[in-house]
Amino acid sequence: MVRSNTDEPAAWAAALGNDGDAFAAIFDLHRDRVYHHALRMTANVHDAEDVTAATFLELWRRRKSVRVVDGSVLPWLIVTATNLARNLARGLRRYQALILALPRAQDVRSAEDIALERIEEMRIAAQVREALSALAPSDAALISLTLFEHYSPAQAAVALGISDGAARTRLHRARTRMATNIEALATADRDDTTKEKSR
Amino acid sequence: MSTTELDPVFAAALRETLVATVEDTPRVRRRWRWRLGPGIFAGLTLVAGGVALAAGVFSPPGAPLDTPLGVAVTATHTGSATIDLGPRPAGATDVSLTLTCLTPGTFDFPDGSSTRCNTVDLSQPPITRTSSEVVPLSPGIDTVTIDTSANASWTLQALYVNRVTTPWGINANGKTYGVTNQNGTPDLIAVVIDQGKTQGYVEASELNCASGGDPKSIAQALAWSAQNRHISIPVYESNGTTVIGTFVIGGATGPNIPTVPLSSLSLHC
Repeated sequence: MVRSNTDEPAAWAAALGNDGDAFAAIFDLHRDRVYHHALRMTANVHDAEDVTAATFLELWRRRKSVRVVDGSVLPWLIVTATNLARNLARGLRRYQALILALPRAQDVRSAEDIALERIEEMRIAAQVREALSALAPSDAALISLTLFEHYSPAQAAVALGISDGAARTRLHRARTRMATNIEALATADRDDTTKEKSR
Repeated sequence: MSTTELDPVFAAALRETLVATVEDTPRVRRRWRWRLGPGIFAGLTLVAGGVALAAGVFSPPGAPLDTPLGVAVTATHTGSATIDLGPRPAGATDVSLTLTCLTPGTFDFPDGSSTRCNTVDLSQPPITRTSSEVVPLSPGIDTVTIDTSANASWTLQALYVNRVTTPWGINANGKTYGVTNQNGTPDLIAVVIDQGKTQGYVEASELNCASGGDPKSIAQALAWSAQNRHISIPVYESNGTTVIGTFVIGGATGPNIPTVPLSSLSLHC
């Protein structure tokens, strides 16, 4: 059982030696972070589950090229989930049959139900998602790692295979673009709300 | 159920699938070897237009040559059991074992490898839940033991064989050609194209490159998988220079997937 990040390097090494339980321990350790990130990217429970499943299947399939940052595969998982969520149809195709066969609880509520309960929260989440999707894929991964998962630009640079300097420059540019996008989306939303109220 | 928590039913099934995927990886490779014969590259997805070589159809250099000896012994058991293979015929070097699982479980072969069946495997046709091994014989031992849990059922077919690994060919340029075997991978790997009508060889280096090479970074790996295309490489005669066709590699599915020649891409691998 992996109880903390300090056990992760040993678990990952064991998983690479075909130890299924060690791989499951890595899944246990990171599944919630990956799922939360997938929810942030998709705002749909089923899609987020699919992205989570595909991300861990990719972790195994591409195990030989996974970049481990400070002993953890989480940054790689976040980058992969970001990319899979950006192009669901293409990203999940390889695992579609397998993922569809996985059972799910019956009482999963629809995105609409959640939206009704948390309408303001969802509105903000949707703006973030749209702003992220307007960025280049690698910039979206960079923002996800630093802004949402609180990795340092240096750690994000390792995960993305770029230099520290390049990460900082791109991050600055991506943050500015992201802020502009969110401001534009928020303005559009406010305009829509005003129009509806004035009807 | 809270939406901020992963559905526990889904999470548990996914966890089980991941464990099976990780532990089944060697079994999957063994299955491919058995079903498709030597010459296949692990991890490679083959598409219409090129199929891997089936042992016995076209016997290229480097392929193991198994000659059956005597009569096959078939036994069905639940739990661990030892099968008596009967008297060893003269010339027997190995025993060919074919195990079909009848219930979920993990089944250990005498050579230390194991095969695992889950409920999904059991819903598939028997051929997809059959694993095969050719195990070298130990002096004086004429039995085979399959280890498994008490409630796991299986059927085993065992047959003595005489196995000879044929040597690879060497062409005029000094390049080895044939199939991948315990000695490694030859320079030119045997393939069959045009629905089995044409037999030839692909360059191992070109095959590796067209299969994604060895990505140096996450960015490279992501960029590769984002490419929705098939890549074709030349098929040569054993001289490694005369082109007799093309071999298409790619896992992409869907309508209008482009096929591009490897030579048209500036890949560094």
